[in-house]
Amino acid sequence: MRKRALGWLGDAALILYFVFALFPIAWMVILSLKPADQLFSTYFSFSPTLDGYRTVLGDSEGIPFVRFFVNSLVVSVGAVALSLVVGLPAAYASARWRFKGSENLMFTLLSFRFAPELTVIIPLFVLYQKLGLFDTYVGMVWVLQLVTLPLIVWIMRSYFADLTPELEQAALLDGYTRKQAFFKVALPLVKPGIAAVSLLAFIFAWNNFVFPLILTSNEAQTVTVGALSFLGGDRPKYNLTAAAALVSVVPPLLLALTIQRYLVRGLSFGAVKS
Amino acid sequence: MIRLSGIRKAYGRTVALDGLELEIRDGEFFCLLGPSGAGKTTTLKTVAGLEQPDSGTVELDGEDMRGVEPYDRGVAMCFESYALYPHRSAYDNLASPLRSPRYRLPAAEARQRIGAIAELLGISALLDRPVGRLSNGQRQRVALGRVLVRPARAFLLDEPLSHLDAKLRQQMRAELKAIGAVQHTTTLYVTHDSVEALALGDRIGVIREGRIVQTGTREEIWYQPYDTEVARAFGRPRINLLPGVVTESGVAADGGVLLPVRARAAPGTDVLVGLRPRDITLHGEGHALTGTVYVTEVLGRSVEVTVRLGTGEQRVSLVAPRADAARLRPDDPVRLVVRPENLLLFEADRPERPGRRIETES
Repeated sequence: MRKRALGWLGDAALILYFVFALFPIAWMVILSLKPADQLFSTYFSFSPTLDGYRTVLGDSEGIPFVRFFVNSLVVSVGAVALSLVVGLPAAYASARWRFKGSENLMFTLLSFRFAPELTVIIPLFVLYQKLGLFDTYVGMVWVLQLVTLPLIVWIMRSYFADLTPELEQAALLDGYTRKQAFFKVALPLVKPGIAAVSLLAFIFAWNNFVFPLILTSNEAQTVTVGALSFLGGDRPKYNLTAAAALVSVVPPLLLALTIQRYLVRGLSFGAVKS
Repeated sequence: MIRLSGIRKAYGRTVALDGLELEIRDGEFFCLLGPSGAGKTTTLKTVAGLEQPDSGTVELDGEDMRGVEPYDRGVAMCFESYALYPHRSAYDNLASPLRSPRYRLPAAEARQRIGAIAELLGISALLDRPVGRLSNGQRQRVALGRVLVRPARAFLLDEPLSHLDAKLRQQMRAELKAIGAVQHTTTLYVTHDSVEALALGDRIGVIREGRIVQTGTREEIWYQPYDTEVARAFGRPRINLLPGVVTESGVAADGGVLLPVRARAAPGTDVLVGLRPRDITLHGEGHALTGTVYVTEVLGRSVEVTVRLGTGEQRVSLVAPRADAARLRPDDPVRLVVRPENLLLFEADRPERPGRRIETES
């Protein structure tokens, strides 16, 4: 009897939390479906319309939302790709070779991640203006390395450290060079890790707000900043902002769903005796 | 030929190899025997170039291997952890060396070689399976196959039979030395099993705390062990070591027992007399000892008998044919016969080192 009561109580608590967690999203959906003239007059009863989405995706109101969206894609994918190219060898090296100061080096890299972006944004703004990187893809991909690179290096480092070095040693004795041992043995074995960390890095890059806010103005502006432009003007258009925000959730969501199965670790079983 | 001289290797404060000297002749099957932590694996990895020694030199066929990358040393190694590529099938694991830039073979020829090796190791039926779905014993054979499948300057085998079940291990032990590649390739075989070392090794090296204590043929190791530790390492049941004192006429042991060993040692020296359980018989020619049966244990066709020697508490064990020992009961008086030439003499063990063997005159 008591057990059942506790069960009910637990369920109720979970439902409460569920509502609490999902309500903002539900509210955004409702907001995005409201016609402009009913925005402030009603809460739940209104005549739903997709006009908001049409406006946002139709580039009307003078705001090129589709381009912001494409920018976000280019910049985030570019940042993750560059981080992988640089970060995977770095992660491997730091997992395998300890040298004097290697831990300090790794910690410095990590510190980029927990230093508030605002502390460096002003000097970066000045630098970017001078170097001609302001409002460019290259500039954005570059600055996003502060977000994606430490993440990729640190997570991949632990994946590489979990692999026994004897696998690559076996490859060396099989007649492969160190480079081949890395590409043919180590890299395929951390594929699930690469998938997981790429997704994570992509989401962080996609969601980044401060860098595009200060370092772009139009050409390379991303959705996070772009969605806010609907709030400007004589009247804030909350319905359009909501629609834009919801559209910008789609890529990370799709990506997460497609590579979900890679997120489960466990491919490397069988390498070592149990 | 493999020659290691003055190899030192430390991991932080732990010294793995401490001035290791070892020479393995061309085409020889050399067994390195030692307890875990003695430096066996480190020795193999040093030869392979996977570990860099802090000092000392590694020579392969007379060439100094300093600065030579593992893939240029031309040695093959079987890891104790197998180190199979978990994302590939057993076949692809075996094929790995034959697809490498260094040992590449045409695919058809490689397939033939792999087929032959798999047949030899009894893993033909498993080739399509991913490594993750093999048992430990099967993985170990795949790992051994990956070594034997290609020509090498030397085979380095790290406990390659340790995870096979007893029957298969015995069978593989017999077959291993019959494999053609093994017969004419210098092989360094690491084990902690003295039976394996005696059965396989043309020569045996005993390693302890990062140093080679003794190398020699199985006869040398058996009849002239360097010290009591080496003597204890070989033979089951273990060698009997009886404490005694050197006298004019032999060694006087506890319980009024006199053992006929002429030692090159001053009378009054504390010694240990070594008696192999299989060198003690219940009848026949030789020096007779008396005692009472303590316990008997049937080991199939033979019986292990533990006897209290003389009037004291000192016990020795011996292995006798079942016919001789079947009627012995605890506390029965027995007469034991030893041959003076089979007795070994050692210094008494000291806390800092086991007792060394002393030459005897017989």
